[in-house]
Amino acid sequence: MSDAVFMVMMAMFGGAIRVSTPFLLVALGETLTEKTGRINLGLEGNLVLGAMVAYATSYSTGSPWLGVLAAAGTGTVLSAGHGWICKLPKVNDIAVGIAFMTLGTGLAFFFGKPFIQPTAPRLDAIELGNWSSNPQVQQALKINPLFFVGLALAVVLWWMLKNTRWGLIIRMTGDNAAAARAMGISVDRVRLVATAAGGSLAGIAGAFLSLYYPGSWNESLSSGQGLMAVALVIFARWSPIRCVWAALLFGASGALGPALQSIGISKGYYFFNAAPYILTLIIMVLSARSQKAAHEVPGELSIVK
Amino acid sequence: MTKIFKTFRAPSLETLHMSKSFGRNKALDDVSLKVAAGSFHALLGENGAGKSTLVKCMMGFYEADAGQMMIDGQEIRIHSPRDAQALGIGMVYQHFTLVPCLTAAENLVISRRDIPMVINWKSERQRLDAFMETMPFRVRLDAQVSTLSAGEKQKLEIIKLLYLDQRFLILDEPTSVLTPAEADEILGVLGEMALRREVTVLMISHKFREVKAFCDSFTVLRRGRFVGAGDARRVNAAEMSSMMIGDVGMRPPATRLKTIQDGPKLELRGVSTLGDEGRRVVSDLSLKLCSGEILGIAGVSGNGQSALIEVLSGQRPLSGGEIKINGAPFEPTRRNFDRFKVFGLPEEPMRNAVVPRMSVAENIAFRSFDKPPVLKRFGLMSSARMRQRGMELIQQFNIHTSSPDAPIETLSGGNVQRTVLARELSGEVDILIVANPCFGLDFASVADIRGKIMECRNRGAAVLLVSEDLDEIFEMSDKISVMSAGKISDPVSTLATDAMRIGKQIAGQTDEIVAGPQAE
Amino acid sequence: MSLPSASSVARPHRKPRLDPRSLALIEASVIPMGALLASALIFSLFLLMLGKDPIRFFSLVWTGGVASSFSIQNTLQRAAPLILTGLAFAVPARIGMTLLGAEGALVLGGLASALIAIPMMLGGWPVWLGLPIMALTAMAVGGAWVGLAGWLRHYRGVNETISSLLLTYIAVAIMNFLVEGVFRDPGSTNKASTMPLGPDWRVGDIPGTSVHWGLATGLIIAALLWVLMERTTFGFSARIAGGNLRAAQAQGLPVGRLAVASCAIAGACAGLAGFFEVAAVHGQANASLAAQYGFTGILVAFLARQNPLAVVPVAFLFGALAASGGLIQRRMEMPDATMLVLQGIIFVTLLTSESLYGRLPFLSVSQAGDRT
Repeated sequence: MSDAVFMVMMAMFGGAIRVSTPFLLVALGETLTEKTGRINLGLEGNLVLGAMVAYATSYSTGSPWLGVLAAAGTGTVLSAGHGWICKLPKVNDIAVGIAFMTLGTGLAFFFGKPFIQPTAPRLDAIELGNWSSNPQVQQALKINPLFFVGLALAVVLWWMLKNTRWGLIIRMTGDNAAAARAMGISVDRVRLVATAAGGSLAGIAGAFLSLYYPGSWNESLSSGQGLMAVALVIFARWSPIRCVWAALLFGASGALGPALQSIGISKGYYFFNAAPYILTLIIMVLSARSQKAAHEVPGELSIVK
Repeated sequence: MTKIFKTFRAPSLETLHMSKSFGRNKALDDVSLKVAAGSFHALLGENGAGKSTLVKCMMGFYEADAGQMMIDGQEIRIHSPRDAQALGIGMVYQHFTLVPCLTAAENLVISRRDIPMVINWKSERQRLDAFMETMPFRVRLDAQVSTLSAGEKQKLEIIKLLYLDQRFLILDEPTSVLTPAEADEILGVLGEMALRREVTVLMISHKFREVKAFCDSFTVLRRGRFVGAGDARRVNAAEMSSMMIGDVGMRPPATRLKTIQDGPKLELRGVSTLGDEGRRVVSDLSLKLCSGEILGIAGVSGNGQSALIEVLSGQRPLSGGEIKINGAPFEPTRRNFDRFKVFGLPEEPMRNAVVPRMSVAENIAFRSFDKPPVLKRFGLMSSARMRQRGMELIQQFNIHTSSPDAPIETLSGGNVQRTVLARELSGEVDILIVANPCFGLDFASVADIRGKIMECRNRGAAVLLVSEDLDEIFEMSDKISVMSAGKISDPVSTLATDAMRIGKQIAGQTDEIVAGPQAE
Repeated sequence: MSLPSASSVARPHRKPRLDPRSLALIEASVIPMGALLASALIFSLFLLMLGKDPIRFFSLVWTGGVASSFSIQNTLQRAAPLILTGLAFAVPARIGMTLLGAEGALVLGGLASALIAIPMMLGGWPVWLGLPIMALTAMAVGGAWVGLAGWLRHYRGVNETISSLLLTYIAVAIMNFLVEGVFRDPGSTNKASTMPLGPDWRVGDIPGTSVHWGLATGLIIAALLWVLMERTTFGFSARIAGGNLRAAQAQGLPVGRLAVASCAIAGACAGLAGFFEVAAVHGQANASLAAQYGFTGILVAFLARQNPLAVVPVAFLFGALAASGGLIQRRMEMPDATMLVLQGIIFVTLLTSESLYGRLPFLSVSQAGDRT
């Protein structure tokens, strides 16, 4: 029995890292966007379109990393559209996000049809578990480089927000746009750039889905990671470092079903699929009235009123 | 470029024949203003007199249609706030321009134009500390701005301008959020700096007390025109005031009739409530309000008055204590508002009293839409009757609108407030809860609105009036209480007190012994 | 593009030719129409870039959506759930809530009606009693599901957009869990489903057509909700609360109950759509319930500017697009996601057009207040 527990634990560990990577990347992108006082609900569209573009690029060029790059580019373009429309007066950023979710998903499905069948070259993992003879350990320690990219980005983003001119400008824009304007900062441009940059990260997250885990392209590839990341950012109180922990928590909850299935508990598999959503909802309920969160929320953000 | 405190140089500034129109509306008409180097100059005028337009032209937010600007005798052109900043002109606004989530140090550094790409906080801090040594105020550099008090924030705003080496300071009603003690400290220090010719100050103010105490010269604007200037130490407040108001003459105060005061109608016992931050903003507050009287609550904003009004109007839950009307427990629900005839004129009507996108007639119907005659059977409403009633009240309350169907957001502030008055005061009123009813309104509207409130009292309503305007409190109230730090003082009869004593109480000094009149 | 705010003051006083209400109505029709036209142009460019013929595309939409009585019926069939899900977005939008929960309410409502039918069928209940019970169950479940989002918003401060979306995901997971598990009909081999409804337990067609009664129900409900939102104290209160929550509180309106009730109405509409999907279309509950009707309804409501009556024609429009989808897929060899792309383009264009309100010079409500 303790063997089974060990197996579940190892599967959970490996699964948590695998599942958390797209969460982490989208959440960092959304953090960057929200720090400027704008919310982008359309990252789900970036994720799906990024996944498709990455897969298609990898398939036609043979280079999965080129696919990642293409996904980042696609995400940037899509979110730049979001940022551009949101700077028009009377436009609601939440609704525009929903529209871009539809558009991104639509484009991905439209152009993605021919790529559902073929197999594209996937991203390689870094095998950190070769020291162990245990296949479960080896399996769990196969970690995709994009996870480390996400970790590094979290640290860089945290440092940048604190110690650079851009970081201070981003935080100022998100907290008091009038003050930023009075200082001659183009609030719209800062938001546009941050939204576009955030969108590129969501595109990369999509590339992770199609090129690594689950590692193929189909229309039900995303299970709403792009949207859940928005809730995750609120949970992480707009701190890139806390995003890492939150993403790992989400990853673990998402890995629960498959981990249990790996030892033959498949009953309630579909129910465990709902675990991340339920967890998100519970977290939102718990953090909604938190005074701490109220202190750290960017003042210009529309979603946390 | 390092920010080491250089030699002080207070500039002089002049505008010549400045004009600015918005459409047909001439906001500034040939205004010339002269502020000598090292002076502390007051810019006076009623709301809408053009003070804000003038300083916004100076700051480069607007471009003047005509006119010149000179600094130290040399003509300058300012097209944007950045130009103004480069020329050493800085402004402190009515609202804070600090970024709440950043620390004081971060706020100072971000305000600079030459921020390095990567900030070396260690050396930056050393320079900031050295700079702060030369400053007359102390502010905690590491504190997040959202945790600072209003006074500290205002000090930081001024420090920020000095940090940017801006020596011509424009202050737009800088003390409106401060206690008198904080205001005196800050203005006193600025006055000394001006005297030492370290800065030149131009202050927009409504408070004659401050103008008399700290300014050396003044200019008055009226309806966009220059009406006069002079030595602030020689001209007395009454003269300044009549320059501001002009030929209209002094507004007669609202007529107070004798009423029979019985009650208490409204009673608060040990009322407490929490603010948005979870702090107690009203604590253990008790008061009694009789019919036919106005109880004025004076105080600087941010001492719990808003929260108190919100509790009474159902916008904020009670965390302790009880509210009673006619001796019965009262909960702020629509049914109880109707049953006890409770009405309200909340502050900032656009935020608290009307729906900007709905029409004037609909906004007037907020109290009556669920009662006959507007209400028909099965919860259906008659929009024709609603419109009819709206038109009657638009007439009766003299609301200027193009149509009863025009969205209320297209109306001016005075007319928005008249719409709210029409809605709340057109019927029988037993209890009226009023907060800063005349804030930011023009002269005519002020008279109108105060008159209507007084009429309501004369008819026997119990009126609770919260106001930051001490003149308003004294003009309107039968009794006065002072609110500070969430607590309220015992009411005193208006006839038995004066502005000095109330002012001291507002500043937080208790009024134990009857103090002799102090020289100002 | 950005006009200084001074322009509103600058406008000379002139009497508007029409009263503000008519102007607002014209504006609210002209701008969405223009946005639709612009979307058609953008989509044509998209097709041209792919070497497809846009004229052929739109003529196929015509053929497949409205040209024959068959295609009209096909359109109406698809419009029926869209009316209900469009209403499900429009009603809470009036109170200022952006709810994405219709899809979940539809799925759960449909599932609940399919499940409650089983004991009634087995117990030999009469159909005239059973079907209304099924419909009411669907409405109750859908209403409770979305009402929860409203409750969380008002009493717990949880953003309703995100919570309703999460509830949708959870709803789909619950359905999969139940349909794949306990309630799986052993007979459903390739697609896990609940026990099929007996032939007499199906909702039939409107006589003389092949359109099920869901359409008629949708029309009636749209009319009722229009009356509710435009002509009753409930709707008026909801508009006050949606326009300015603080003002609504100061008027003593029960804002919490209004919010929850609006959400519950929305959920009930979507649940009812789920009932018709089960009882009139699929005959059982399975994964085909999650057919994006809930999400398309959002677009329908936006295009209708949250007006319950305007939802109806807009739902027909999107019904026609959906009805012609198959034809276009076959004749033009385009994937089924074509319509999703078109929807996305319409959605983005429509929201961009929001910035035009109050800025069309010939429609401006004159600022003839007393600004001097």
